[in-house]
Amino acid sequence: MKLAVVVQRYGPAINGGAELHARYVAEHLARHADVEVLTTCATDYVSWRNELPAGTDTLNGVPVRRFRVRHERDTIDFGRRSDHVFKHPHSVADELAWLDAEGPTSPSLVRFIERHAADYDYYFFFSYRYYHAYHGARAAAARAVLVPTAERDAAIGLSIFPPIFRGVRAIMYNSPEERAMIEAVAGNQQVPSVVVGIGSEVPSNAQPGRFCQKFNIRGPFAVYVGRIDENKGCRELFEAFLDYVGAGSTRLSLVLIGNSMLPIPDHPRVRHLGFLEDSDKFDAIAASELLVMPSYFESLSMAALEAWALGRPVLANAKCDVLKGQSIRSNAGLYYETRAEFVETLKALETNRWLSGALGRNGRQFFRDHYDWPVIERKYLDMIARLGKEPASPAIEPLPGWLTRRRRDRPPAREVLEALATGPAPHTDTSRAPQPAPTRPSPPASPRRSGSDRGHGDRRRRGWQARPPSRPQRSGGA
Amino acid sequence: MPDFNVRSDSVNVEQIMDQIRARIREKRGVDYTEEEVRELAAVKLEKFLDPRGVRSDLLDQFRKRDPGDSAEPLPNYEFNDQTLYETHRGPIRWIRRLLNPLLKLFFNPNPLIQALHIQSRLNTMTVERDAARRGLVQLQYEVLHNLVLETTRLGIEVKNLKMRVESLTGRLEFNERRARALESVVVYKSPDERERVAAPRPTLPEPAAPKPEIAGQPASTQPRESTEGPGQRSRRRRRRRGRRSGGLASTIMGGAQSAAPSSDTDAMGEAVNQDSTTDAIEQEMSGDSSSGPEDDGPDSGAE
Repeated sequence: MKLAVVVQRYGPAINGGAELHARYVAEHLARHADVEVLTTCATDYVSWRNELPAGTDTLNGVPVRRFRVRHERDTIDFGRRSDHVFKHPHSVADELAWLDAEGPTSPSLVRFIERHAADYDYYFFFSYRYYHAYHGARAAAARAVLVPTAERDAAIGLSIFPPIFRGVRAIMYNSPEERAMIEAVAGNQQVPSVVVGIGSEVPSNAQPGRFCQKFNIRGPFAVYVGRIDENKGCRELFEAFLDYVGAGSTRLSLVLIGNSMLPIPDHPRVRHLGFLEDSDKFDAIAASELLVMPSYFESLSMAALEAWALGRPVLANAKCDVLKGQSIRSNAGLYYETRAEFVETLKALETNRWLSGALGRNGRQFFRDHYDWPVIERKYLDMIARLGKEPASPAIEPLPGWLTRRRRDRPPAREVLEALATGPAPHTDTSRAPQPAPTRPSPPASPRRSGSDRGHGDRRRRGWQARPPSRPQRSGGA
Repeated sequence: MPDFNVRSDSVNVEQIMDQIRARIREKRGVDYTEEEVRELAAVKLEKFLDPRGVRSDLLDQFRKRDPGDSAEPLPNYEFNDQTLYETHRGPIRWIRRLLNPLLKLFFNPNPLIQALHIQSRLNTMTVERDAARRGLVQLQYEVLHNLVLETTRLGIEVKNLKMRVESLTGRLEFNERRARALESVVVYKSPDERERVAAPRPTLPEPAAPKPEIAGQPASTQPRESTEGPGQRSRRRRRRRGRRSGGLASTIMGGAQSAAPSSDTDAMGEAVNQDSTTDAIEQEMSGDSSSGPEDDGPDSGAE
């Protein structure tokens, strides 16, 4: 069996969520099949500059084939196009131009997939929103398995993506929330899918004492792991934590691990250690009282999973559906929406040892049940076996004609996003048998449909409530 | 207030979060998000503010009173001495200029030209002033908008603070009652009990014969003052206050003569018999706590 993992960037020093995810999956699937990675020469996700040589290479025993990116990203042009398609009515041509501007635009990669489609049994495309996944999936639709790594951002509301979600052979979701969101947008319940997520190489012998000694950390502390950025909710975290420290008698400190894009508060209870090696990071989590995850948008939080693997509770931002859903499903973390809730939940985790211990134990069990590598590998292999038995689904719907493509009849992507249901999906059923295809051809991209008729069955079962659209929805399919 | 009632091994995060939220609500009243404050400021001002002071539809009314905000600026025109004879056709312009003296034989166009020129300038000035006024109105709107928001926020905060003050007052009263109850129980004893306490102490020496009284001065005054400390004096003061306010120990103890004066030395001697009065104290305490605003008992959580 020969598999291809197609991802926008690939390398040992690339630690982005989806890219790391792809590398782990490739390396683990390589134990069961011939795996080749198809990627670009870029390492920087902002500019997509060609920095690595084109051609073949090997990384950790996995062959990697790199293709050049045709042009770097023009950030001003991309910003302008994003503003247009996210906030204003636009055409399919505008969306395709946006995709081209976003990059990494590598037609040679897509041509390779087109020519060698039959050489691989399945292509695993990572990150639905990039050029390589969109055009690559179209080039090898009958063998395309999508790992969307979708977050709740406006790109999900673009009308070019639902045909991809409906037309690929299978989808490997990161979380039930992600699946619910994509099914609500695309109505693709008939596509075989499974909630997989990703494992982590958590050491069994983490040494908390070593970490405290090495970094001279005294007393209990909460740890944050990740990029220290406003988009990750860190500013809000700083303010809330300083409130907590100022409010009463606490011995808790906040330890930050990761590169900082924000000024760190100058406070004796806040320590920034910068980017750490994995061993130090795991030691830090093991030494902490809890892990704080203030991010608003996550398709899957690896840091939270690592904390659970090490038996530590997580305090998550409830505004992120995925984190809240994971906390509820695992019974291994608390969550906050307001500052008062942050203070109370943190206080509960700090002072109530029993609660903290019980949550940590639940987290460890949750990780073992759902995110241990043997479990993840098994889910991938089961899906491959299942696809081998089932006939290929019909091809991806073709793009509309030249004139239709230029008709400005697509709603703003943000409007589509706002109409989607919110909230965690508490059910833990990870795999789903393919639903019967709709009796009539599934409508092309559903953003124009009202929020109440999208993915109705599932949402009702989960008790979701559709948010009223910010503006009256117009009729017609996208 | 009880802590989280999570005793079993199966933790339910949603249940814990419900308890935490209930606790926050109890502590601070209702918490409002920024959006909720805005909504309240726009719709339900009368619930929080004096309706005579601020109208709930103030912002809408203010917007309606500014029709120029959305109106397009009217087109203006340029007018000078050549405008009347302007044309894009060159020969016609030349003929008009040629016949101009002839035209002036019929009427004088100069006042007309002058008036229209002035009117054009006036129009321009008016448009500029209007634009400046609109900027000012926008600024006023912003100020008013922020004012209404802040007033609403303050109203909510005042309400919350009132609730906290009430809560603190309740706690204070409860503590005072508790202190009074404890002191009066410790100090007062009925004579029967005093005898019972004195009886099993045969080894104690007999009290010395009373000294001869000095005229106008009680015999026991001098020694008592010499033995009692400042704490005892303040205790006596509090006791007198308690007696005035009706918190009689006799009611608690059930003794008929307990209202009789007793010395502090007696009280100290009787302190060993506190066990017999514990039930009475607890009764009093439970009575107080049930009427108190909040239970300050130990947390029932598993900490």
